[in-house]
Amino acid sequence: MTRRYTLGLRGREFVIDVHELADDRFEVVVGDEIYDVTLSGDEDLPRATIMPGYHPAPGVVGSAARPPVPAAAVGPSGGAPAAAAVPRKPRPAVGGGASTVSAPMPGVILEVHVKAGDRVERGQQIAVLEAMKMHNLIGAPRAGTIGEVCVTPGQAVGHGDALARYAEG
Amino acid sequence: MGAGSDSLGLLLQGLTHVTPQSLVMIGVALVLLYLGIVKSYEPLLLLPIGAGCLLANLPLSPLIADDGMLRVLYDMGIKNELFPLLIFIGIGALTDFGPLLENPRLVLLGAAGQFGIFLTLLLALALGFTRPEAASIGIIGAIDGPTSIYVSGLLAPHLLGPITVAAYSYMSLVPIILPPIMKLLTTQAERRIRMPYSQRTIGRRTRILFPIVVTVVVGTLVPFATPLIGMLMLGNLMKESGVVERLTNASAQEIANTVTLFLGLAIGSTMVGAEFLKASTLAILVLGIVAFAVDAVAGVLFAKLLNVLSGGKVNPLVGAAGISAFPMAARVVQRVAHEEDFENFLLMHAMGANAAGQIASVVAGGVLLALMGAGGH
Repeated sequence: MTRRYTLGLRGREFVIDVHELADDRFEVVVGDEIYDVTLSGDEDLPRATIMPGYHPAPGVVGSAARPPVPAAAVGPSGGAPAAAAVPRKPRPAVGGGASTVSAPMPGVILEVHVKAGDRVERGQQIAVLEAMKMHNLIGAPRAGTIGEVCVTPGQAVGHGDALARYAEG
Repeated sequence: MGAGSDSLGLLLQGLTHVTPQSLVMIGVALVLLYLGIVKSYEPLLLLPIGAGCLLANLPLSPLIADDGMLRVLYDMGIKNELFPLLIFIGIGALTDFGPLLENPRLVLLGAAGQFGIFLTLLLALALGFTRPEAASIGIIGAIDGPTSIYVSGLLAPHLLGPITVAAYSYMSLVPIILPPIMKLLTTQAERRIRMPYSQRTIGRRTRILFPIVVTVVVGTLVPFATPLIGMLMLGNLMKESGVVERLTNASAQEIANTVTLFLGLAIGSTMVGAEFLKASTLAILVLGIVAFAVDAVAGVLFAKLLNVLSGGKVNPLVGAAGISAFPMAARVVQRVAHEEDFENFLLMHAMGANAAGQIASVVAGGVLLALMGAGGH
């Protein structure tokens, strides 16, 4: 699976492709450079913030494999950090954290039923994901307001990809 | 005068050759057409089967005379097992074994889902069917159309019609037959066990080697399964290799569609009055549904056992996907689990168990043939 991160940094746009070779091995493409990256740890920090004053030096790309989304990793029901239950996985388990609606498995988005600003109830239908030729209804993991819809119909998504984010983050 | 009444007799011989049996069979054909067209039960098969049955039971039907079209189709594809094998290439080209490779333990569920074959076989023996007949009826429990046709075609060709109809009709009823069994045997807590999608990247090399290795291993262990597993895996090898896309597409679409039409017509044409209207047909229909139910029960119970052994990590519903009926059973599992907990997605695990069931069905078919000492040798 390959994920493309497009980051805006000091007015410039960087495209970083992270190609997953194995659970803990990634090929990271930044511009013309290709790095082999080994992921030795991956945890989602509740309320993680990007530290101001953090300037990655050129060549230090180990953190690129980490998703730049501030995914709060409180499990949907248990309350335990999902990352602790599933270590060495790039993303938390089914249902996503409380701040996102994420894809429970790889597939193609067929329909999106919400837009930014919509109030949703827990279980309300967010999108239809086609996987293994079956239409799967993706419900909202909690009540809240949708801040951003991250996918469009026809888009292929990988396991754990954010489909929508809550405004409350 | 004599010549005139002869001519009249010749012109009306259609009417004079109508028999009560053929009328009943025309009724059966209409029921099959109704189920396919109005109820959408496997229309791709039931419509051609119904049509074949109708055409074969019309009085003096030239289609089933020597060199009649339906007879020719039967001889060229059913008698020698060609059609089910061609269909298997297409099934292989459509099957993604990825979910199984990601979670190889699921192969156990596929094995458990074949239990109904052997119980049904014993029941059929008890009811007085001969050994080859009982084995052919048991294979309905493989819940795989081509496997049923292949095995019963070799062991008991005279039962091909009812066995095929039972296998395909019940397969289309999987969404109705499975959920009550699944719910009866599991608690709500068990149905809510979440199985997160385990992302493991399966390399292209593994995907290509898998069909080759399975063919060699299964073919060596169960030689009678070689035709079925060989064609299934040939289709899969073509798909996974990615180098013969045209052949893959042809196998999965044009060839599979053409053969399905021929197969359905030919099977339908075997359903003629004297052979079909017997108590044994009714017994086969009953035993077929027993086979389905026992498969599902065994699969779910085995998954419950796995759940206990794994410390609560296996949702017993997944066991119901082990029965084969690819990919419908897996979808039913996903649907039932999703109804209990909308955040639980078992589809990939169910697909893995389902693909395992597909392989296990073929192996079970080969084992039955071996036990019966049948085959082309």
